[in-house]
Amino acid sequence: MRLDGVSYRYGRRGPWVLREVDVEIPAGGTVVVLGRNGAGKSTLLQLAAGVLRPSSGAIKERPTPVGWVPERFPADQPFTVVGYLTAMARLHGAVDQNAIEAWVDRLGLASYRGTRLGELSKGTAQKVGLAQALIPKPGLLVLDEPWEGLDAAARELVPGIVAEVVAAGGTVLVSDHRGETGRLPGAVTWTVADGTVAQGEPRQEREIAIIEIAVPADDAEETAAALRADGHDVVAVRTKAEV
Amino acid sequence: MTALVRMRLTAYLRSGRALPGLLGTLVVVSIIYGGGKSDAAEAYGFSAVALFPVIAWQAKLLLDTEPDVQRRLAVSAVGLRREVTAGLLAAGVVGLVTVALAMVLPWLVGGITGPGGIGAGLWAHAAALVGAVGLGALASRPITRSTLYGVAVLVTGSVLAIVLGLDNSVAPWLAPPLMATARHLAGHPDSATIPALTIQAALWAGVVGAIYARLRRTRG
Repeated sequence: MRLDGVSYRYGRRGPWVLREVDVEIPAGGTVVVLGRNGAGKSTLLQLAAGVLRPSSGAIKERPTPVGWVPERFPADQPFTVVGYLTAMARLHGAVDQNAIEAWVDRLGLASYRGTRLGELSKGTAQKVGLAQALIPKPGLLVLDEPWEGLDAAARELVPGIVAEVVAAGGTVLVSDHRGETGRLPGAVTWTVADGTVAQGEPRQEREIAIIEIAVPADDAEETAAALRADGHDVVAVRTKAEV
Repeated sequence: MTALVRMRLTAYLRSGRALPGLLGTLVVVSIIYGGGKSDAAEAYGFSAVALFPVIAWQAKLLLDTEPDVQRRLAVSAVGLRREVTAGLLAAGVVGLVTVALAMVLPWLVGGITGPGGIGAGLWAHAAALVGAVGLGALASRPITRSTLYGVAVLVTGSVLAIVLGLDNSVAPWLAPPLMATARHLAGHPDSATIPALTIQAALWAGVVGAIYARLRRTRG
């Protein structure tokens, strides 16, 4: 799969999010997309998934089917978990009831089969988002911040799932700003910055460390702002009660 | 594509969004036929005009039901062209149900006289339906992005469709031929011919549909 001179901007007068991006994703490879918040990671992933169309340039040899896991699953829909997964499988052309049941069980959704999407917690809804992308056996799996919103048990499943898709000949694209992608062996990294995509470095050469610091709650915003101003990527701000 | 049409119709029904459109249809039918028996062709001509904004509103409601991210998921599964077509088809199905209700209910309550005029009525409603689905699509959230702009497009489009279609209009070709069709069915002298009105309705719907498809491509 190749992105040939791909540029993108939202609207005709919007600023360019990506400019003249030329990258190639090897078949059966895993690519981790890094970059600051707002750098264009999600845009790049949505272009790759075919959700957005390039303002100019072209995307060639995109594998099918495409499984796209959005950063936030749209839970405001009047379907039950199984009803939704069945409807999405039908969109992909075939309803494989065994595959639906297998992913429901594996992702811990079994007790939510008949639950309406709107009644699910954010983490459980995110698992539904993951399941709908995996059920059609994707040739291209695009995961937008898959570690966001998932509970610890589900987060542990992600590397194994990625490895299975790759083993089946699929290509995987993952964005990550939590530094969790260290658990994807063999992945290459792309870094999105200033509208361009730098590629090629093995992930190991660009190891990311997460430093957790504790400050009085009243100073949190100011400290986060100061760190950002120094060029650091503030991953999360939370109170002790949320830990 | 049938799967997506089905999924959208299911969401439209289960979310309760079908109810306002149904009530709107019943109100329009009650107003048109509440005053006693009418000649079928003439009454259906007025019914098609009055249902135009209702069907456009239903099309907007249907296309707005889906969260934006779910629409993108649908694009990733079936591609943009099929996703856009499935939305228009689903809105068309809802419009067809509305037309069926508006044409059958008057018979059940004895609001219409004579067996004649059914074919002409079907033609008038079909002409209104294709234009209304186009207008509803242009007013939908994927295009207008806000409720305010969406309502503005819907109301302005509906008013213009009627005003521009009035007798002696300066630009009748800019609007779908609702009023001209009603005049034809009412036996108005000098009204346009059925082929001319059919071509105008098809052209109008085609142009609006093309604009909608084009905007969907460029607006992500």
